[in-house]
Amino acid sequence: MTPAGVATHPPTSPWPFVRLKLRLLANGMRGRPARVALFVVGAVMAGFFAVAGYAIFAIPGVVGDERAALLLFPLGGSALVFGWLVFPLLFFGVDESLDPARFALFPLRRRTLITGLFVAALAGLPALSTLAATAGTVSTAAGLGGPGAAVAQLVGVVGGLLLCVAVSRAVTSAFATGLRSRRSRDLAVVLFAVVAALLGPLQLVLLAGAENADWDAVAALADVLGWTPLGAPYSLGLEVTAGRLWAVPLKLLIVAGTLAGLLWWWSATLERAMLGAASSGSSRARGDVGSPTGLLLGRRLPRSRFGALVARETRYWWRETRRRASLITFTVAGLFLPVSISLSGGSAGPLAAFVGALAAVALANQFGYEGNAYAANITAGVPGRVEIHSRAAAHAIFVLPLLLLVAVVVSVVAARPERIAGDLGLLLATYGAGLGLVLPVSVRAAYSLPESTSPFALSSGGGMAKGLLTLGVMIGTLVATVPLQILAFVLGDVWLWIGLPVGAAFGCGAYLIGSQVAGDWLDERTPEVLAAVTQGR
Amino acid sequence: MTVPVQRAGDQIPAMALRGLVKRFDTKLAVSEVSLDVPAGSFYGLLGPNGAGKTTTLSLAVGLLRPDFGRAFLLGYDVWADPAAAKARLGVLPDGVRLFDRLTGPELLAYHGLLRGMDATTVDQRARELLDVLELGTGNRTLVVDYSAGMRKKIGLACALLHAPRLLVLDEPFEAVDPVSAARIRDILQRYVAGGGTVIFSSHVMEVVERLCSHVAILSDGVLRLHGTLAAVRGERSLEEVFVQVVGGRVSTGSELAWL
Repeated sequence: MTPAGVATHPPTSPWPFVRLKLRLLANGMRGRPARVALFVVGAVMAGFFAVAGYAIFAIPGVVGDERAALLLFPLGGSALVFGWLVFPLLFFGVDESLDPARFALFPLRRRTLITGLFVAALAGLPALSTLAATAGTVSTAAGLGGPGAAVAQLVGVVGGLLLCVAVSRAVTSAFATGLRSRRSRDLAVVLFAVVAALLGPLQLVLLAGAENADWDAVAALADVLGWTPLGAPYSLGLEVTAGRLWAVPLKLLIVAGTLAGLLWWWSATLERAMLGAASSGSSRARGDVGSPTGLLLGRRLPRSRFGALVARETRYWWRETRRRASLITFTVAGLFLPVSISLSGGSAGPLAAFVGALAAVALANQFGYEGNAYAANITAGVPGRVEIHSRAAAHAIFVLPLLLLVAVVVSVVAARPERIAGDLGLLLATYGAGLGLVLPVSVRAAYSLPESTSPFALSSGGGMAKGLLTLGVMIGTLVATVPLQILAFVLGDVWLWIGLPVGAAFGCGAYLIGSQVAGDWLDERTPEVLAAVTQGR
Repeated sequence: MTVPVQRAGDQIPAMALRGLVKRFDTKLAVSEVSLDVPAGSFYGLLGPNGAGKTTTLSLAVGLLRPDFGRAFLLGYDVWADPAAAKARLGVLPDGVRLFDRLTGPELLAYHGLLRGMDATTVDQRARELLDVLELGTGNRTLVVDYSAGMRKKIGLACALLHAPRLLVLDEPFEAVDPVSAARIRDILQRYVAGGGTVIFSSHVMEVVERLCSHVAILSDGVLRLHGTLAAVRGERSLEEVFVQVVGGRVSTGSELAWL
């Protein structure tokens, strides 16, 4: 310490960031057995992924099959990088416990901040298990091409990991900044469409390749991917094995260039995120237009407590970035997945279950979205069932038209328009069953979200909770609707006629049971739900 | 050292707390708090930061479940008969978000309809409140974009909209500009004169001394002193009593010498 007590040189080491992240993680779990359990489950899953990945990547080396390695490495590696790109957007979100905005007041250089946040992002379960999984390629490279190939592959694996983390950080940061200001929601829609557009064709290509078993085409694809940033890091060792040493520096250059580009992009969006782009909104103080109740309810909704609750919820689905992001994600995934399956000749039946469940999952932490603002409903004494029904109704206002759209589009793409009614029936059944499951879960397993405008922000440990809840509800819904799926399959053409009423009845029944349970639980546990969604308690 | 509460005849107290206890993890946030707030009083709840003011008020209005003890609002048990207890209650919580993705008028309409009022009354009162509190009847700004003072004011408007008999306000004057604060004081004084009861928390002595008929001093979750302002204050200033009761440190002048 200098006598003045002022550090003249701001620190440049990234380690304080790592320590801060680990400390936040540890403090988040202290005295909360549920969080510890979640963490353990997450660690087990990550460990399983690491072991399985290592085994798969190491097999070609054990068998001594170079052709298999040439296919597997670029394809598997690309899938990994792609997963890092898409999964945070679709399901898990990014742990924003190190929110860049919190560092805005510290005398940190941007370079220090970026390195620190980047290294902190590396110090996590996903990054560790990815590294362990891809280490299998090193073992294969050593078996096929000796120590030289192994060293090259090791460099590639590390580069690949850096690429994975950088791509997920850069993309979510760009998204968050994009959705932050209300005016740029159109930009967000476009970006989501781009991600979805990537998802669709890739799936088509993969499915087509797998069905035709045209290994030459797949090999060509693998070769091409090997020269893109997605696959380049994972094919370094193979180039050494094949004796094409000249390719190694070129591919390294590709990886390094992409990494630099991503980090630059990230730091640019980070800058804007730190400034907190406080959107001015539409602060036009017009004359007295419309009555307050008219402004809230519009023309259609009843002038009652239920009407007010539904109106507030629908406003929130559109105005709150997290909710809007989940609606957009659902729309994109709900349309593209079934369409791409239909195009490649698959059956859309099981997908109906997936889409219906995906819609309902958005409500898994419905009380967490607006945090302790829920206190207003408590002091007004809103009964649990009214609360639950109004929230489900507001969600359905958005989702039901989308489900109809999905049913129509899928049937038309598959050139089987007669299936519209039956498919819609299946969709309604799964949506209803999903709601029946998710509503009680939302009362029991509410957790707090940080007061952030980023749609991907989660408190530390929240990502795991969200992912597991999502997965659990999905599986539960699939199981619950299995009888209906079997019925639809067995009945064949008869289902085309009775599918819609039967599906709708099944969905309504499941919803009614679930909402009654959820309403009663909410009445019993109102203050506990409020405490659960309150940040920092 | 406790000054006995002055009961105004046989009236039912507007708020009655009986042995409230609340523990967070290891910290005892509220310990055995019992308090009667007489109907028609202007009650100030004083305490330093972290004394348990917000926790006590949350326990009293049913936002937080006490570990032990009971709370009655206008004679109704908050946990046994929540609907009746909350019907005539208006709350302005502190540190609690509003439904801030609504505009000011929308938020007021929401609160009014939630209380089961008819739409015409809601519209008329909402317009009046927005006008009096200078929030603008045609303001389309979302509450999330309001300044801290405006947020306090819209929160107060929401608490007043259904004309409650008891107002529970947590730090109502914080971040509010002097002009608005004067207006709010005015509204509250008229409200009490008309038979309403106000209990509010604060750590600003001047405001409490000017407004309140009764005060209670809370520190470390324990109710140290309560009663009418005159009885609590005695011959001294309220600030002197407060610092002495809370056990604040007296500056020796030697600390922070480097500053």
